[in-house]
Amino acid sequence: MITLYQRRRLYNGALLSVAMLATVFGLFWLAWLLITLFSQGVSWITPTTFTQITPPPGSAGGLANAIVGSILLTLGGVAVGAPIGILAGTYLAEFGRDRGIAVTVRFVNDILLSAPSIIMGVFIYAAVVVTTGHFSGWAGMLALALIVIPVVVRTTEDMMRLVPDALREAAAALGAPQWKVVISVVYRAARTGILTGVLLSVARISGETAPLLFTALNNQFWNTDLGKPIANLPVVIFQFAMSPYEDWHNLAWAGALIITLSVLLLNIFARIVLRERQPGT
Amino acid sequence: MRETEIPALRPPAVAEHPTPPHAAPVVAPITEGKAGPLATGAVAPASKVTVRDLNFYYGSQQALKSISLEIPEKQVTAFIGPSGCGKSTLLRTFNRIYELYPRHIATGEVLIDGVNVLNKDYDLNLLRTKVGMVFQKPTPFPMSIYDNIAFGVRLHHNLSRRQMDERVEKALRRAALWDEVKDKLYQDGTQLSGGQQQRLCIARAIAVQPEVLLLDEPASALDPISTLKIEELINELKTDYTIVIVTHNMQQAARVSDVTAFLYVGNLIEIGPTRTIFTNPREKQTEDYITGRYG
Repeated sequence: MITLYQRRRLYNGALLSVAMLATVFGLFWLAWLLITLFSQGVSWITPTTFTQITPPPGSAGGLANAIVGSILLTLGGVAVGAPIGILAGTYLAEFGRDRGIAVTVRFVNDILLSAPSIIMGVFIYAAVVVTTGHFSGWAGMLALALIVIPVVVRTTEDMMRLVPDALREAAAALGAPQWKVVISVVYRAARTGILTGVLLSVARISGETAPLLFTALNNQFWNTDLGKPIANLPVVIFQFAMSPYEDWHNLAWAGALIITLSVLLLNIFARIVLRERQPGT
Repeated sequence: MRETEIPALRPPAVAEHPTPPHAAPVVAPITEGKAGPLATGAVAPASKVTVRDLNFYYGSQQALKSISLEIPEKQVTAFIGPSGCGKSTLLRTFNRIYELYPRHIATGEVLIDGVNVLNKDYDLNLLRTKVGMVFQKPTPFPMSIYDNIAFGVRLHHNLSRRQMDERVEKALRRAALWDEVKDKLYQDGTQLSGGQQQRLCIARAIAVQPEVLLLDEPASALDPISTLKIEELINELKTDYTIVIVTHNMQQAARVSDVTAFLYVGNLIEIGPTRTIFTNPREKQTEDYITGRYG
């Protein structure tokens, strides 16, 4: 005869096993991916990878132009998208709240958040590339900014909503106008979360390929002029990996590893810096 | 009793709400009876805050019904009553903090020194320099102890560094916190213990030099020793401030207050000297609550 408590222990054990299996299943593929990436890519990362530009097939070269292009596009995308996202998130959390327009904005933002990134690329292609008549770094930057905005809006609003209303009331009770309450108290309390959201968006766009295919395109030569097509790691990886040339394949592996490592380092850096700045620890 | 003539400041309260049940304007002076003046033989102190025919609505739900009462100057007045009776709601009309929320509406009058502060023309920031507030849960801002105190002062005054140092020290001394924090003024205020945080909040409120101090269950989240400290502090502060405290702890009301008001489902049942309320209440409802028959 199984007692109630024995039965509960059985259920508990069974569910725990299923949950652990699911975790192991997920981590297995992730680990496999990382191992493959390292084993294939690490031997092709050499000093020349960072000093030479992308080569024609059959000759030596590196990824310098693509790395610099990626950094420019990513920084530009965040510089344009993050302030807009933070301001919009602030509006939703502090001013709009449950008003009709805020509910609508929130809904549209959620759609943008889950929209395939290629849509952003096609949109900027139609809006900027077709209008100006050529691919350009600026167009790529705008496409990336469009991906940054919904991510930052969402995290900013969520983080600001976590700040208890009691804190807002306390500041207002001292005679602080609402803008002062938001800037001096709510932003301070939510700072860590908001910055984490921005860094998440950097990680998100640093590997985006689809929106750049239609906008920044690629460039075999050294170029830092955002008015022209500009090389970037994701598109280079895409093109090189699809090519029939062995040495291009190797460079694609190296590029993939470089992106993964930089996102990893960025995350570690963010954790350390944000933890140090966080009050109360 | 200060009865100033203020016909021009009367808000269009009745017009905003065509059919609230108790909206008939009260003609001064305040009606005798339930909410009458303090009925002891002693000379009644001047009243600092006068509430007249105050109604309060959360959306369509009425939370206060035609409240009229007087808060004596430089004394401690306690609002008691069971949960949901409206005691916090009443307190929150005194500095109009309820205006942060769109569907919270008050009609009637709250007079401070004879001027109706519910009038939309009355400047909110000015009101909040006159009326300080401390909340149930300690609410230190995520900044240093020093900046917590200076935050409110900076909103209203442009002080030199030295003047600000003095103001911060004075506020912390007055809140009986100085000795505990004088060596760590630049540490984060959120690192203090709960009781210290609450005294920090009191220091922050009095640094702005208000005349009225509103305490909304200031000790209900604290341990007994911290509670005792807060109560001692309230006793000291009443020499300079008119204090109104909301508490669900009747012993606390009996210990710290001079005047007690008992509210029940949005009505003011009785107000009077604390001793009278606790030993010889006029209303049966008050007696039932005090003796623990409900609430």
